[in-house]
Amino acid sequence: MKAEPINIIPKDKVTTRALNSVANKGLVECRDIGVVFGSGGSRVEAVKSVSLTVNPGEFVSVIGPSGCGKSSLLSIVAGFTKPTSGTAALDGAVIKGPGSERGVVFQQYSLFPWLTVRKNVEFGLKMAGVARTRRETSARTLLGLAGLLAFENHYPDQLSGGMRQRIGIVRALATSPQVLLMDEPFGALDTQTRTVMQEILTNMWQQFRISVFFITHDIEESIFLSDRIYVMTARPGRIKAEIVVPLPRPRTAAMTSTKEFTDLVQQLKALIREESLAAMGTELTSGGVTGFGMEVGPEGVGNVL
Amino acid sequence: MKSPVKNPNEQTTSLPDISGRDRFDLAAVLSGLARRQGITAILAIVSIGGLFLFWYVGTRYHLDFYIRFKNVPTPYDVLQQALEVSRTDKFLVNVVNSIRRILLGFFIAIALGVFLGLLVGRYRRMSELVMPAIEVLRPIPAIAWVPMSIMLWPNNEAAIVFITFIGAFFPILLNTVHGVQSMDGVLLRAGRCLGASEPQLFIHVILPGVMPNVFTGLAVGMGVAWVSLIAAEMISGQYGVGYFTWEAYSLVNYPAIVLGMITIGVLGLGCSGAIRLIGRLTMPWLSYVNGDKK
Repeated sequence: MKAEPINIIPKDKVTTRALNSVANKGLVECRDIGVVFGSGGSRVEAVKSVSLTVNPGEFVSVIGPSGCGKSSLLSIVAGFTKPTSGTAALDGAVIKGPGSERGVVFQQYSLFPWLTVRKNVEFGLKMAGVARTRRETSARTLLGLAGLLAFENHYPDQLSGGMRQRIGIVRALATSPQVLLMDEPFGALDTQTRTVMQEILTNMWQQFRISVFFITHDIEESIFLSDRIYVMTARPGRIKAEIVVPLPRPRTAAMTSTKEFTDLVQQLKALIREESLAAMGTELTSGGVTGFGMEVGPEGVGNVL
Repeated sequence: MKSPVKNPNEQTTSLPDISGRDRFDLAAVLSGLARRQGITAILAIVSIGGLFLFWYVGTRYHLDFYIRFKNVPTPYDVLQQALEVSRTDKFLVNVVNSIRRILLGFFIAIALGVFLGLLVGRYRRMSELVMPAIEVLRPIPAIAWVPMSIMLWPNNEAAIVFITFIGAFFPILLNTVHGVQSMDGVLLRAGRCLGASEPQLFIHVILPGVMPNVFTGLAVGMGVAWVSLIAAEMISGQYGVGYFTWEAYSLVNYPAIVLGMITIGVLGLGCSGAIRLIGRLTMPWLSYVNGDKK
């Protein structure tokens, strides 16, 4: 394997300097963000005065019931949508549109199917006008460090979902963003793959130490990965609680069975459950959570009537 | 021709953890492939051979059952005719003229159809501006354009190329538009947050993304272009396979009519085959979509 020396990955003293300068960047600040869809009778308030911060080098999750507007928040920070009120800023500069200083990993598979894995990783550098040999070297180095070099010439459709998301993360990192925005990146994967992907991600983060803004509805996932967790309420989404995860770094799979971890899970579950019930609101009016209003038995409805 | 068919093998051999089974699988896949290709070839021969057999039997026994084979030339007559026309280069000039007109009209249709299709598909205002006019013009068959085309253009040659263009333009345009509109939005968002500007997005995301649709449009467009070309040549042409066929009818030269028809069929087949081949060579990734070769 020919790994050309390249200045992307921290290794020793040369890169600690780079790390320090990076460590001061990647401050995401959301101030009083409100999102309203539609107007008049069909007016829906999705997010209501949300303020949150992702400090440089911090891994922050937002968790909440579905429809609470957590994806809207990410979409605002990514620059795809504008908030109805309030502002989002990166390192003090107000976010006006998408840009490569904020890498985004999507829930859906978003690799370009017509490009090979390596060309996908090179894409951002190509847009930035980096010369072909240099971006090729960068892409191969990154893929090599992520253990994906063997697949550099494969097309995305030849790969499993977990592989595609790993490459999606590598692609987002290739442009050296200040912050990584992840919108339920493992939501489409099966439970087993998810757990492995979470470990891969936390190890990757340990190497890069950039700010991560992570959206999920999976409680264990948010605890395992994050330094801090924001819990959101049902629509209109507000910040209900902010929880600091005291678990040490680097995180390991063994930690998920410690008492500290399970206590946090219980605490978050209680918070989320209230909101999930509120979110389903009218759907659950009569006989909701009990499942069914009366004992029916395996004979089915025929006997009851 | 070979490479897209070979791709599934590459896929299995390049996965690292099944190296023990590799060779065995490869042999099995190859023999399976050979058998499938063999069956394909046999069915193709049966398909074309059936046509010839029907034609031969019909003319041999002067079949007269709703359709009348009384005046239809036999395959042998047509072969004789083919040998006769191949002695001078008059027939070849006709073929070359038709191909030149097709290519000219077709390439103008590609350039305009894809360009306009990208804009219409991407910008709603552009679509609102262009589509009403398109929807009015589209139902008019290319043949109906013949008189107007002769009035519009200074010579017959330009008129025929224009009619060929009309035939190919609409399928290419509409498929491109549909391709852009049905494109997965997450790819556009991915492109934008990787720093692509709007022009870069067109060149590096939208265009490659709609290529499969464009090629569908090209295949349909090529068929319509041939229909339009032959019609135009029959009515207003000098030279060309359509002209040759119509002239044969006027001169009561029955074998030449059939020779003209077969020539049109073969040329059309060649053109759409070329489009498919180019499509597979330029979009090797398509053979992996849905985990199977298409």
